[in-house]
Amino acid sequence: MTTINTETATSDHRARLARRRQERFRRVEPRGRREFTARERAEMLVDAGSFVEMTPMRVDSDGKGAGVVIGWGRVEGRGVVVASHDAAVASGAIGAVMAETIQKAQRFAIDKGYPIVYINDSGGARIHDGILALHGCGEMFALNVKAQKRVPQISLILGPCAGAAAYSPALTDWTIMVREQGQMFLTGPDIVKATTGEDASAEEIGGAQMHTETSGVAHLEVTNEGEAFHATRLLLSYLPSHVGGPMPLVAPRPPDPVAAERLPYVVPDKASVVFDMREVVDGVLDAGPRLELMPAHAPSVLTLFGHLDGRPVGVLANQPASRGGVLDAKSSVKAARFIEFCGRFGLPVVTFVDVPGFLPGTVEESRGVITHGAKLLKAYVEAESPLLTVVVRKAYGGAYIAMGSRSLGADYSWAWSGAEIAVMGPGGAVALLHRRTLRDAADPEAVRDELAAEYRENVARPYVAAEAGILDDVILPEETRDRLVDAMATLGYEGGADARR
Amino acid sequence: MHAARAEIVGNVWRLVAKEGDRVDAGDLVAVLETMKMEIPVVAGAPGTVRLRVREGEIVQEGDVIAEIG
Repeated sequence: MTTINTETATSDHRARLARRRQERFRRVEPRGRREFTARERAEMLVDAGSFVEMTPMRVDSDGKGAGVVIGWGRVEGRGVVVASHDAAVASGAIGAVMAETIQKAQRFAIDKGYPIVYINDSGGARIHDGILALHGCGEMFALNVKAQKRVPQISLILGPCAGAAAYSPALTDWTIMVREQGQMFLTGPDIVKATTGEDASAEEIGGAQMHTETSGVAHLEVTNEGEAFHATRLLLSYLPSHVGGPMPLVAPRPPDPVAAERLPYVVPDKASVVFDMREVVDGVLDAGPRLELMPAHAPSVLTLFGHLDGRPVGVLANQPASRGGVLDAKSSVKAARFIEFCGRFGLPVVTFVDVPGFLPGTVEESRGVITHGAKLLKAYVEAESPLLTVVVRKAYGGAYIAMGSRSLGADYSWAWSGAEIAVMGPGGAVALLHRRTLRDAADPEAVRDELAAEYRENVARPYVAAEAGILDDVILPEETRDRLVDAMATLGYEGGADARR
Repeated sequence: MHAARAEIVGNVWRLVAKEGDRVDAGDLVAVLETMKMEIPVVAGAPGTVRLRVREGEIVQEGDVIAEIG
């Protein structure tokens, strides 16, 4: 950390510097629900004492600061760049100088291969700067996109972020919002009222709850600024610093013993009965912290980071406990985004499958479920990371394909011995294939059950897929962890993402 | 008054609670059937059940299955 000497010195030039520093580093008490100043936020995010501010003397034409504190520090010893909006200068509105300063941080992150964290607290483009503000914001967005191919980008929303200040986070990888403090919207309550007649509060238009539950614009809701920094550091702990960089390894830990012991009994025999897929995850992955992203949005799929034998992995799983674990437009977008991210940074993906299918109906079709489901297929095919898939119970139709199937490039694919994989479930298949038999039967119910059992054994059992070489093996639940760990070793995962290229 | 709603489109396969039953938060009120999955509908608060659907009826996402108060 650069130590700033603010003591008054004897000579003139020393006194002048001391005065300048006193002005620039004066603490402006944060307004509203804000807890810390822009500089304090940057310092708190990184390891204690590691923050180095870049161009601290930069001023705008009004003589005030650039409107953003930029610099870099270390998180668990690894370099991280920070750009922290200063709401004490023009409410954090982004003018030409502020945009240019943020771009400096972005270029530094891209050049160094350090993740960048944007601490957003800005009313949008600075009106007085006109086209210069817009141009600067646009250049900043362009660098957001350029950075996507190079380093992880995380956005924290610690105040009202309007217009241009809402777009930059949308071009980054993960967005974390503080409840009842951070907001994101293109236009605030006044313009909404004038345009649509809606009497909506800033919280209703773009609050953390709305964006983490309904819209999916943000991916994690926290209750205060300290938690936001903690969540960011936890998120970074699973990620390489840049594309192709080594994975941050931790000491391997066996799974939670209670969860591991329960694993063979978690999935109910009856395919229609729901269960909590988190129990499967806990029975397989290393014990210790997980980070679930978008827990409240489209919860019929789970997206989380955890460790397997000390190596970070991304887990995508159907969650039968919510909406039966179906894939629909929203859950497809959530899943696709997660796989795309893991694929870009070489993070291995473990997919746990128990999916009844894509949800039918006019509502889903009109939401564009075809297009959104296709994004999930594309994400798997394009992923540059090890893909390991485990069918724990059922996988039917297009949803089987979409959930990390061998056909989309899974490096390894297994099914538990009780699994069913088929074009459709036994009920639907029998009704379609044996329409006439059922119509003419004296006891259609009994005949249907008999035919369904036959179908389950002859068509849907995983041995059909294993015999065709589409599954690598049929396994028991308790064998899953060892198979995954061995598989990652064969994929040269220790070497990071480069190993697979 | 609390409304126990359908979390997904489906048909009302089984009403577990009867009209006028007392339930606690977390008690099973009904089971929907969607894509051969049994989707539980649970009470979000304690109270007396007033059913708003019949078995076999098709319900849309967000429809009230029972009011509990």
